Amino acid sequence: MRRTFRLVKREYLAAVKTKGFIIMLVLMPVIMGGSAIAMYLLRGQVDTTDKRVAVVDHSGAVADMLLKAVEERNKAAVYDKDTGKKIQPAYVLEAIEPDKTDPQAQRLELSDRIRSGELHAFLEIGPNVLYPKEEQSTFRIKYHAKNAAMDSVRNWLNNTINPYLRKVRLMDSGVDESKADQIMAWIQVEAMGLLSVDEETGEIQEARRTSEEEAIFVPVIVFFLMFMMIMMGAMPLLQSTMEEKTQRIAEVLLGSMKPHEFMAGKVLGGLAVSLTGALVYVTGGVFFLGRLGLKDVIPFHVIPWFFTFLVLEIVMVGSWLAALGSTCNDPKDAQNLTFPAMFPVFFPMFVFMPVLMEPTSGFATWLSLFPPFTPMLMLIRKAAPAGIPAWQPWIGLIGVVLFTVFAVWVGGRIFRVGILMQGGAPKLSHMIKWAIRG
Amino acid sequence: MSVVEIENVTKTFGRLRAVDDLSLNVPQGSIYGFIGPNGSGKTTTLRMIMNIFYPDSGRIRIFGEEMRGSTSERIGYLPEERGMYKKMKVRDLLRFYGELKSGRKVNKEVDFWLDKLELSEWADKKIETLSKGMGQKVQFISTIVSQPELIILDEPFTGLDPVNVEAIKNAILDLRAQGATVIFSTHDMNVAEKMCDFIFMIFKGKKVLDGTLVSIQDKYGSDTLRVRTEGGASALQSLNGVERITDFGQLQELRIAPDNDHQKILSEIMSRTRVYSFDLAKPTLYDIFLRIAGPEAKEETDA
Repeated sequence: MRRTFRLVKREYLAAVKTKGFIIMLVLMPVIMGGSAIAMYLLRGQVDTTDKRVAVVDHSGAVADMLLKAVEERNKAAVYDKDTGKKIQPAYVLEAIEPDKTDPQAQRLELSDRIRSGELHAFLEIGPNVLYPKEEQSTFRIKYHAKNAAMDSVRNWLNNTINPYLRKVRLMDSGVDESKADQIMAWIQVEAMGLLSVDEETGEIQEARRTSEEEAIFVPVIVFFLMFMMIMMGAMPLLQSTMEEKTQRIAEVLLGSMKPHEFMAGKVLGGLAVSLTGALVYVTGGVFFLGRLGLKDVIPFHVIPWFFTFLVLEIVMVGSWLAALGSTCNDPKDAQNLTFPAMFPVFFPMFVFMPVLMEPTSGFATWLSLFPPFTPMLMLIRKAAPAGIPAWQPWIGLIGVVLFTVFAVWVGGRIFRVGILMQGGAPKLSHMIKWAIRG
Repeated sequence: MSVVEIENVTKTFGRLRAVDDLSLNVPQGSIYGFIGPNGSGKTTTLRMIMNIFYPDSGRIRIFGEEMRGSTSERIGYLPEERGMYKKMKVRDLLRFYGELKSGRKVNKEVDFWLDKLELSEWADKKIETLSKGMGQKVQFISTIVSQPELIILDEPFTGLDPVNVEAIKNAILDLRAQGATVIFSTHDMNVAEKMCDFIFMIFKGKKVLDGTLVSIQDKYGSDTLRVRTEGGASALQSLNGVERITDFGQLQELRIAPDNDHQKILSEIMSRTRVYSFDLAKPTLYDIFLRIAGPEAKEETDA
């Protein structure tokens, strides 16, 4: 134990006392958060060039309405009312008489005009759109553009044409125009938090309106923080073990300590580095959110789980990485093993969105109970606003503890042989043999 | 009392029998030299003494105890290839290795040895800035700084200039004088002859020599005639009763075949050329090494 702690101290200081660690501590949230902030800032950065769209209205019922509606839209949305700055493109609609004799030729001609850049798109409205009947082809509304699937003009047209057609149909059935508007009114279901009692005044506090972004924001931050801490504490173990083996430091150390003490020293050193980073971020986060009056956003109930799962994940993945590092004889070997070694960390990254959106689904539940993925996936489920049954993190915890013990045991056996084995690329068959025979 | 007792130890790696039924006793307070060609099993034996490798069969006792699976702060080990954290400062590294081994602060000892081996100026420099020789001295200090009772040195003199060889040699002798037992492997027969109380030679995993230099030489008898002549090596060709001539330029070493009279051979030489000096001697360790592991031994084995 004494020897292990001396090695932990060295590993910890070697990592923490470098400028790189301080820079990384600052840079990581900047890079991770920076991309989110950049997306937020850039979402207002739309292309404000006017969009010219030709309308071929076979029904004769829509084009006039669209011309009026687009005028109103351009008046209201194109320029910022306060600054007068153009913030949206103006839509310029051009009604075109349908060519009854050769509609295909007309479509091709319009397509060419789009290709040449003269038009942004053209809209073709089927003859029977007001009262869909006969063949489906007669009541379709087709929007042709270079990238029609992702197009804000198409969305506007959709949201303008359909309410209009419904309203006309209502009025045709004898409903008064003002009534028709009422009938058509759409009321959004709002997302709200829970009411609570103010501890100081005893008054019931109004529930806060929650946004989808906010519901996702907290679990994602917790999840990425864990990912960052694993990258900081466990990931370097693969490379550093390989280096210590190839530079023969391992042999010197093995003259003073047993292989499992050596491995434990490295893994616990990495854990100490991660915990330092996590403590800095968590206390910093709590402090700043508290200062900003956003204390109720902080998921205090998740913090103990975060640290518990972080410790287990680092020990589990770290032992595995150190064991794999001990089988490598050059940096290329280590590079080849990075992906399989980090799979328990990368896989949750691939699936975290569906798990977060539906944390109680069978998919999310079972994946999060699979021990290698439990720390990260159970954590994000626990942090999700929907909540999960209270027993699940505990069952997950038991599974992870058992699996971690197993990973350390297997890792230790591979490490013991691998660290002194020179020459040859690491082979799975060798690792299995060493794990079984020791 | 024996500090190291090796009894019928065998170690194989796949099909290779690296050490074959080896037995050896290293008495307390002695300097024991391990010699043998590359790949003959020296390092494997040292690693087994260190408990880094476990023998497949046989027993190894250190200080009278079997130590399988454990390490001892009473043993200091200098591996063949140097292993040091390049980014650490010399003093920090020595303190780390010393504390790891002994479990106590070794600041005083570190400063003492840095001073003794003239490295004080480099104490706050990073390992990566050291020359090879200096690095070797630092690694040597790291082995002995915890004051171990048994010191195992795998090729401690490789890559050192004569000044540094002397410094390390004197340090080893000092440690022995203080009661330490020293085992070292070397390719330098001269050093082994001069320093070691006992010499052990391993060849293809088997023990081929073990004992004091005198006892080893006695086995071969006084069969070496060293001569300095006017005619040099060319005047000594095709002498009857001479098995082999080793030409050192100014001096030639003649190995006399068994049951031949060196007087006769000397007379023959004198009849051919003028003799400046001659000396009848026991073979050197270098010569014995070559007889066992050199090309002629190979020829004999092949024949």
